[in-house]
Amino acid sequence: MSAGSRRRRFGLQARVILTFSIGAALVSAVLAISTFYFVRRQLVSQRTKSILHQTFVNARLVKLELGAPSAKIAGALSAVAPENGVHAFIYRQGLWYSSSATVSGTAIPKDLSRTVVRGDVADQRVMLDGVLTLVVGVPIPSINVAYFEEHPLTDLASTLQVLGTVLTTVAIATTVGGALAGWLLSRRLVRPLTEVVDAATEIAGGTLDRRVPADPDLQPLVTSFNGMVTALQDRIERDARFASDVTHELRSPLTTIGASVELLDSYKSQLPAGGVKAVDTLHVEVDRFSTMVQELLEIASIDAGAAVLHFTDVPLGGLVEVTVDGYDPGIPVTMTPEARESLVRGDKRRLQQVILNLLDNAETHAGGAVGVDVRLDERPDGTWATISVDDAGPGIPLADRDRVFDRFYRGAASGKRGDTAGSGLGLALVAEHVKAHAGTVRIEQSPAGGTRISVQLPVVTG
Amino acid sequence: MARRILFIEDDDHMRGVLALSLQQEGYEVVEARSGEEGLRRLEEGGADMVLVDLRLPDMDGFEVTRAIRRSTNVPIAMVTASGDTHDVVAGLEAGADDYVVKPVVAKELSARIRALLRRGNTATAPEDRAQRFGDIELHREAGVVRRGGEEVPLTLTQFRVLCELADTPGWVVSRAQLLERVWGYDFFGDDRLVDYHISGLRTKIERDPSNPELIVTVRGLGYKLVP
Repeated sequence: MSAGSRRRRFGLQARVILTFSIGAALVSAVLAISTFYFVRRQLVSQRTKSILHQTFVNARLVKLELGAPSAKIAGALSAVAPENGVHAFIYRQGLWYSSSATVSGTAIPKDLSRTVVRGDVADQRVMLDGVLTLVVGVPIPSINVAYFEEHPLTDLASTLQVLGTVLTTVAIATTVGGALAGWLLSRRLVRPLTEVVDAATEIAGGTLDRRVPADPDLQPLVTSFNGMVTALQDRIERDARFASDVTHELRSPLTTIGASVELLDSYKSQLPAGGVKAVDTLHVEVDRFSTMVQELLEIASIDAGAAVLHFTDVPLGGLVEVTVDGYDPGIPVTMTPEARESLVRGDKRRLQQVILNLLDNAETHAGGAVGVDVRLDERPDGTWATISVDDAGPGIPLADRDRVFDRFYRGAASGKRGDTAGSGLGLALVAEHVKAHAGTVRIEQSPAGGTRISVQLPVVTG
Repeated sequence: MARRILFIEDDDHMRGVLALSLQQEGYEVVEARSGEEGLRRLEEGGADMVLVDLRLPDMDGFEVTRAIRRSTNVPIAMVTASGDTHDVVAGLEAGADDYVVKPVVAKELSARIRALLRRGNTATAPEDRAQRFGDIELHREAGVVRRGGEEVPLTLTQFRVLCELADTPGWVVSRAQLLERVWGYDFFGDDRLVDYHISGLRTKIERDPSNPELIVTVRGLGYKLVP
């Protein structure tokens, strides 16, 4: 569980990059540190050897000088004549003699001097005045003195510092290189998957003939993915064809029936009273039936993915006014001047159907719309047009508001089936159409006391 | 004299009852149940306008439309099961002037027919003096367009679109205005009707139809005829 969640927190790419950089950092650190210590040991032991050698030579010189009668220690020290910051010291019978007036032999570590006085050759690295210094002592027992030299290792220290800097830099560069390599590799690793993701996105967006190109690393995935999409495409095309066939087969008889009823209607004056009543009933029912079939077909074609919306810039003012006027010129329309002048991107016929269905809904459930209001709202995501249809009916209880857009939901009218019952698909279609226009539908309490259903649509800007 | 409508539709019931409705409106209706029969009837007796279903048993409505267009400029309205599918576009490309969607409502159908049968607005022409645009001459009264003296065969609807643009040379005419004046739509006309007829006009009167100099598109507004 915890491992799973940690794996999810870092993606594959992040993990590859992290692994590579940590690996590179570890390897380069180990290499750098061991190189540094190895080189330092080599350099120090070489220097120590050569300094020891020189000290032995100088000690022999001192022994020769002091071996002569009436020899002075100062003479011996000046005979040695140390250079390059090297200081020489002679220790005899508890007293220190120095080659330099400024440097005293008492700075020489006691352990070292004791060892040398006892008769052993010794060397030690110490920090003297902040400078790494090699102190070497050689006993000269024959004349009962001990000879010391201090060699500052300035050049060695700076060499080691440069080496340290170089190695650190190389280690950091290697780590960055590792991260880079990890990034490149991870990109290569996920590239075939990116292809699949892109394809899935495009297919979801409607490009059903998109396929993932063959990739040797992902052959099974690619094959089954493409197979799935082909099956899906076949299915969608079959459904669309069926919807289109049904549409065609149903719409012709609808035309015939509708036109026949219209004809009958025009001969009504020649019919007996019973016949007139029958024709009137027929007329209402045929209209309702026709509307229902058309709405069903429309919803079926949306479900089958076969609905093709024809988008243009639709003038909001004309859309609402012409539609409401055509439905019932008695319904008052209020519209702000900006709203009247604005354009919405949409399918004219479907936007008209949205408004008509809202008016129809008010007619069916609330005794008719009492007003249509159109206004614009500035929102962070742009300008939106709100078209509200108000009625003065009983209103819709809060609990039912979600279900109003369900197919065949009829609210209080359900089961009534009089000539007041709608098709039950009107608002479902409103919801579908508005969704296809990237808009929203809301149900509120109307200022007129009944229900307000409002549709929000994005306005074309610029 | 009654206007003669040729109605090509294979569904006997639908054709019969719509024909009755149209007769009630005062039209003379010639019925044909196949494309073949329709073309024969047209050749025999002519027609003022043709109504053709897109799905026919022998040849489809597009072929019928193309065949009619080869010989006459008569207005053609197609009957389609849906206004969404590419049927509409294919029909307009084949040369149809307008379309009605099933279920066809008789009142809507006769409104479409009335609009398509309306003569060009010759009354607004002051006298029959030809208007010239580039190398194009528009003779309204004669209903003729000439290009370099030679007559350009326009369909009635294309001619009417051109006349509407020629009423206000240099001024933009919106798609909505054209839909209203030529096709009789209030608001819910299909912009594609305008666009396809403009493009049809261009192929006939422009020197280079893909780079129009006479009928230019004004983006977001409509079209204008360059004086």
